[in-house]
Formats: sequence, structure tokens, C-alpha cells
Amino acid sequence: MSQSPLNLPRIVLHDIWHHKWVLLLSVLVVLNGVAVVYTSHVTRKLITQWDQLLQEQDRLDIEWRNLLLEEQSQSEHSRVTRMATKELNMSRPLPKEEVIIRVQ
Amino acid sequence: MARQAKQKLGHELIPWRLYVVVGFVLLLFCSLVARAAYIQIIEPDKLRHESDMRTLRTTSNQVQRGLITDRNGDMLAVSVPVRAVWADPKHAHDQDAFKDMRRWQALADVLQEPVDELVRKVKNNPKKRFVYLKRQVTSAVADYIEQLKIGGIYLKSESRRYYPAGETAAQLIGITNIDDVGIEGIENTYNTWLTGTPSKQKVRKARDGSVVERLDIVQEGESSNDLVLSIDQRIQQLAYRELKRATEVYQATSGSVVVIDVTTGEVLAMVNTPSYNPNARDNLQPHRMRNRALTDTFEPGSTIKPFVVAAALDSGTVKVNELISTSPGWMRIGGRQVRDSSNYGDMTLAKILVKSSNVGISKLSLSMPVEQLLGTYQSMGLGNYTGINLTGESAGLIHNRHRWSDFERATLSFGYGLTATPLQIARMYATLGSGGILYPVSILKLRQPPKGEQVISNKVAYDVMEMLVGVTETGGTGTKAHIDGYPVAGKSGTSRKAVAGGYGDDYVALFAGVAPVHNPRLAISVVINEPKGDKYYGGDVSGPAFAKIMSGALQMLNVEPISEQEAVNLATARGAQNNVIK
Repeated sequence: MSQSPLNLPRIVLHDIWHHKWVLLLSVLVVLNGVAVVYTSHVTRKLITQWDQLLQEQDRLDIEWRNLLLEEQSQSEHSRVTRMATKELNMSRPLPKEEVIIRVQ
Repeated sequence: MARQAKQKLGHELIPWRLYVVVGFVLLLFCSLVARAAYIQIIEPDKLRHESDMRTLRTTSNQVQRGLITDRNGDMLAVSVPVRAVWADPKHAHDQDAFKDMRRWQALADVLQEPVDELVRKVKNNPKKRFVYLKRQVTSAVADYIEQLKIGGIYLKSESRRYYPAGETAAQLIGITNIDDVGIEGIENTYNTWLTGTPSKQKVRKARDGSVVERLDIVQEGESSNDLVLSIDQRIQQLAYRELKRATEVYQATSGSVVVIDVTTGEVLAMVNTPSYNPNARDNLQPHRMRNRALTDTFEPGSTIKPFVVAAALDSGTVKVNELISTSPGWMRIGGRQVRDSSNYGDMTLAKILVKSSNVGISKLSLSMPVEQLLGTYQSMGLGNYTGINLTGESAGLIHNRHRWSDFERATLSFGYGLTATPLQIARMYATLGSGGILYPVSILKLRQPPKGEQVISNKVAYDVMEMLVGVTETGGTGTKAHIDGYPVAGKSGTSRKAVAGGYGDDYVALFAGVAPVHNPRLAISVVINEPKGDKYYGGDVSGPAFAKIMSGALQMLNVEPISEQEAVNLATARGAQNNVIK
């Protein structure tokens, strides 16, 4: 005991150095644990976002279908014909009145 | 001293107390460990189940029925998600939902139904678990009802089918019933193709209802498919308008028009009167819902005559410029009489068609074996399904027997003793237009040209078309079907309707033809059933509608009209050709 005076920090460091792999692994384990928690959190957030996007898609699909119907009823041929003839005084030319322009 | 002793006593360790305390702590610890081990290892399922009960949900996505569009992408049928309002009377009773009648009043107002009726439905059946209150309400109404928060009233997703084309294509497209199953027309024929099945998925939901984990798929869904028809909605609309006008003017009971693309056999329009509004299903009448263009048959009358000429030319029993004597304007066959409206004397084949001479055509029919005539009829699609593959299609009727009397052979040549649908008539004329190639009729837009079958020779088809041009020109029976700019090869027909024991006083007025003759694009048949006015001839009743539809449709398809000069040139070329053969 007397020939070597007790040097506690040195022993501790030595010990740490001696078990450096174990220590490193345990740090990695902790980090890994944190990473798992973080990733699953991010995953859940992404899934929620995905789900919201799907709902948005459904909503847009419904809107699209309603707009389709509106477009269809607005552009209905008989309606367009009626408006063209009544409001714009247009008429469909007879075949013999047609003038054909050839683009060469 | 005594105090000192007391103090000393206080510092002294009393082992059994320590053991007791340590023992308790250990016991507590062990029981905790044991409990944890029990929960985690031995019996973990119960708590897992409890957790799942609170977080696991099965969601299903709603699949909308496929769209039906015309060939240019115009919508003919669109499904829109709506909601059904339903009640669980037991829940309603349990939650004492009838306390606040103001909410029920609001519900009744938004559903536009008497409040007593609604309340009675729910109140009178306290044991029931499901009652529909109203189906197919819009999402705005549904949101309002959701906010009313009446106990036991719930909403359910469903979809509603809208038909933007309305009555113009009602019989062709058909309708779905309230449960989204096609029950008529194309909706019925292609029901499985149009219908999708929803997929069901297990998800884990957080407390706020957002999905945090997607687990397995409970049921694999199938997405629905869209359908692109060969119909051109512009032509469909035009054909319906003209047919409706003709039906009203001549007070007919019904009518049909079929427009076929000569080069592919695709149906560009198929309309019927009387029609109905497929968006209002309250009072549907079966006779309005039938697609008469392919379900109803009639005797085709004179419209069949060009094909007698074609059969005769094809078999070689007559030549193109042969003269046939029809004097004295009537003939006696087996004790019965066939007559023309006047004595036409010697006639060319073209003139027989132009004047629609029964005597002339009967002589042609009798000049060839009956099998030849029937064979030509059948090879052009009479008595057979057209390949359109729609529910309720009729094949028409051609008797297949060995013995025919001469009179029957004569009647066959002017369109009695056999029946056909408007679709078949249009197809026969399309076959003329395509140079004798019979194509299967298609209601779906084709991706590649179909394979046709040459049933009469190209030359015969062309010759017959040339002969038919005269029908719509001065002196013909179908002058009202004449179109400036597009020469028409058409034929009128008027057939008496058969009733029990003979022929009655009702007529079917027909006009069918192809145009333009020099480059055929469209074949149209117009059939008007039982016109009630003074006019009942096919040329007078169906001819004008034919001309309007044909010229409008050809214009829409950007078919180049020919000038009057060109028309004259074509006519003289025809005459010259005829002279050369003479």
C-alpha cells in the first residue's frame, strides 16, 4: 500500500480504458434506444400526415366530382346551342354554306 | 443518568425492527416484480386486448362507382358521395333523445319531412336497431345534422349516381338502384366492371382520432373501372332532339334512331322516345326505360329492298343495267296480288329502288333461289345478335325453313315475314357503306380497328349505293331526306304493323341510309312507330329527321361537304359509267 500511493482518478481512468468497448456499447445502446423512440415518433407523425392527405384526397375527389357535374351541366350541348342562337344570334351553317380552307 | 440511558437506548440498534421493515420493503418489491412479471410475461393478452379496444379501429375507404364517358370524355354518369341518415331507436331511447324536440324540428326541416313522421319512426320501435330516415342527402345537410347531435341519429356514407346527359341517353346508359347496383342498360351490363369493392384496414388511432399506425389490411379492395363509350354526345343530343320533334309532330307512340360509324362499327348515337329523366327516379315507367333501338323488332318494309338487289347482283342473276318489266304495275303470285302505286313499265334496278317498286323487287327475288336471299340477309346480320352485347337485345326473326311459297318469297323482298331492330337496319346500311364489310357493332370506344367480314363484294356494295342516291333526289320516295352537300344513299320504308290475325291500321315509318356516298362515314336508321297524323310514309315522317341528323353529325365530324359543281360531276360520272356498261 505504501510503495504505490493511491491515485484514484488514475485507477478510474484505467478502468474505463480497460472496459472501453463495454462502455461504448452501452452508450450506443442508450443512443439506439433514443433513436428508436424518435423514429417511431416521426413515423407516427408521418402516418398521421399521410392519413390527413388521404382525407384531403377524398375531399378533393368529392369536389372534383361536383365540379364535373357543374361543368357538364354548364357546357351541355343543347344549352350552348340555345345560348348561341338566342343570345349571340349565331346559327349553324348549312353544308353548302361552308367554306373550306386547306392548309398546305 | 436516566436521561443518558434513554439517549443511549435511542441509538441502540434493535435488529428485529430493522428486519421487519426490510422484510416489508422486500415483500413490496417482490410483489411489484411479481405483478409486473405476471402482466408482462404470464398474462399479457388481457391488457393488450384492453389497449386494442381503445385504440384499434377498422377503417374502410369508400370506392365510387366508375365513370361512364362518351368518346370525347364528356361525362354520361358520375357518382358523387352522399350520406344516408339513419337512426338506432334503441340508442335514441337510451340517450333520452326526445327531450329536446327543437332538435327534431330542425332535423325535420332540413330533411323536408314532417316532424311527427320522423319521431314516430324512431319512437314507435324502441327495440329496433336500424331505421333509414333519409337516403342520399348532400354533405352540407349531413354536416348540419351532425351538429344537431341528436342521440341515436347517425350518418352513413353512400353514393349517388348523376346522369348529366339526362333523358338523351337514358335508355342506353340505364340507371342504378338506390344501392348503387346497375339495373338497366350499360349500368347493368357492365355492372361488375364499374363496381369496386372497398378495402378494409386496421389502424391504431390516437386519442384525438388521428391515425398513428397502420396495421394489416383486413380486406383487399378493388378499385372501380371507368367506361368509355363509343357514343358521341354531340350527335346523341342532336339525334334525340330531332327524334323527339318528329315523334311529337307526327304524334307517334315511339321512335328510335341509331347512328353507326361506317368504318368501325361503333355506335355514335342511340336514342329512343319517349324517354325519361334518370336523375328523378320517383316515377319510372318501364315502357320509357326500354332501349327500343335494340329490343323492339318490326318488319323492315321497303328499307330491305337494296339488299335484295345486292343479293341478286352478288349471285349474278341480274346485271347492273338490266331492265325489268313491271307492267302492268301489278302481278299475281300464287293467288295473291303484289302491286305498285302506278305502272312504271320497264325499270332499271336503280329505278326499282328509287320508285320502291314492289313488283320489280318481287321479280328479282323470284329470279334467285330463296336461300340466296335469306343467306344475304343473314350474312348482313339479320336474325342474329349484333355484337353490341347489351341487356335485352333482340336478334330479330328470320324463318329458317325449306318450303317457301312464291308469294312469301315476294313478301320477303319487300320486308315482310321477317323482323329486325333499328340497330340491325343501321348496321346493314353501314355494311353497304363500308364496301360490303360487316363489322361487329360496338358500344365501347375501340382502341384498334375491328376485324370485319366481307359479306358482299365491294363492287356490289358500291353499285347499290350509287343506285340509292336517286331516292333522295327529285322523283324519289325520300326527297325530304336530301342533304345539300352530302349525297345520301338511303331508302325509305313504310310497313304496316302486324296484329293478331293480319295487318292493322298502324304503320312503322322508316328511313335508313349512309352518307356521303363518295366517302361513306355514317349510317343512320330512323324508325318512327305508329305515326298518327295524315302522313305516315317513311320518306315524309322519318326522312326529314334523317336529313337533319345526318347533315348535323357529318358537320360535327368535320366531313367535307361537296360543292354543287362536284355533285354534278359525280352524277355525270355515274351516268357516263352506266352508259359505258350499257
